[in-house]
Amino acid sequence: MAKKIAIDPVTRIEGHLRIEAQVDGGQVTEAWSSSTMWRGLEIILKGRDPREAWLMAQRI
Amino acid sequence: MEEKTVGQILWERQVSRRDFLKFCTIMAGTLALPVGFGPQIAEALEKAKKPALVWLEYQDCAGCTESFLRANRPTVAEIVLDILSVNYHETIMAPSGKRAEKSLEDTIKEGGYLTVVEGSVPTKDDGIYCCIGGRTALDNLQEVAANTAAIITVGACAFYGGWPATPPNPTGAKGVQDVVSGVPIINLPGCPFNVDNLTATVVHYLTFGSLPAVDDLGRPLFAYGRRIHDNCERRGHFDAGEFVREWGDEGHRKGWCLYQMGCKGPITFHNCPTIRWNEGTNWPVGAGHGCIACSSPRFWERPAYETVPIHELTPPATYPEVKAAPEGPSPVATGVIGAAVGVAVGAAGAVAVRQLIKEGVEEEKEAEGEE
Repeated sequence: MAKKIAIDPVTRIEGHLRIEAQVDGGQVTEAWSSSTMWRGLEIILKGRDPREAWLMAQRI
Repeated sequence: MEEKTVGQILWERQVSRRDFLKFCTIMAGTLALPVGFGPQIAEALEKAKKPALVWLEYQDCAGCTESFLRANRPTVAEIVLDILSVNYHETIMAPSGKRAEKSLEDTIKEGGYLTVVEGSVPTKDDGIYCCIGGRTALDNLQEVAANTAAIITVGACAFYGGWPATPPNPTGAKGVQDVVSGVPIINLPGCPFNVDNLTATVVHYLTFGSLPAVDDLGRPLFAYGRRIHDNCERRGHFDAGEFVREWGDEGHRKGWCLYQMGCKGPITFHNCPTIRWNEGTNWPVGAGHGCIACSSPRFWERPAYETVPIHELTPPATYPEVKAAPEGPSPVATGVIGAAVGVAVGAAGAVAVRQLIKEGVEEEKEAEGEE
């Protein structure tokens, strides 16, 4: 009997991650991962002084 | 919560009495308390019960976690942080998923724990930009805040929103104090924050049963009460008009003042120059880059490489006249201003200025002597 499990939060990593898996008879048949946090650095960096890009990007 | 006291745990870990007392005296110093408070801290810490702590991460980079994990000065600090019962910390805890969330739920039920928050809280679109265990950060924080004794925010993001809150702030990121009320909140900003200040805050809490005194931004005065510029080892070069003009130039190689390269030391309040990083090895300005004002609100909106005005330190008219060089302000002219400014803030400032006039010595030399 197939069932769907979710592991959220995934710990001991840097960032926020959710894993969902379809389990059928002890075997994972399908899996999905999602990053559950977004800040939009790509949008924030637009139009800024390029000399500052590294300061922000190193803080992702 | 464990029944053992902190004193018993330290004893079991074979921390010597001498090391423990040394740590307590250093903590008294960090907290800007008279040295006599060392024994009082020691007595309180020995009797204190292992406090529960939950560490929440929202829109973060885990940089503050990295800073936290590098607590190693002195060794006792590591243990004191270690003997906090860290019941929940996503980056370092063993359980994942539902089991991890259960640790948090159990702690919340028990109540009276300390909460550390790292990262900003997104509020736009019902807070969907940060979810943990299927719930938004906003939801999660409200629940944790309801039963906590106090919230300690670490880093710029949890303080005011940090870089995620930089315009156009795509996720409506906010600091903890903007979304939580009715709970004591203390802010330890910085990018990242300095773990020594967390150790000192926790020690203060365990010793006096309260959070340390704060400024109008909720930052403890012991750590954020002094201007970086006033405690900077390059200050003598500012006073002498010796500035770095270009990365890698002669002044940069000689460790001169980084003000002209955009250093925000003159407007930033933090104990960065005194407690430093990596076991007190160095700090950004010491390593050759200007301060970026990371302990100030909305610092990302200030151009990192442009100079800041030094309004508050303009010398009054009663001070010796500052003559501008023929073609615009030269390094030397700025140095003369610097010299006057430098002595203005020093305790022996007036005396030094009088000396300056009387002896007519070269200003640069005098300023260096003052430093």
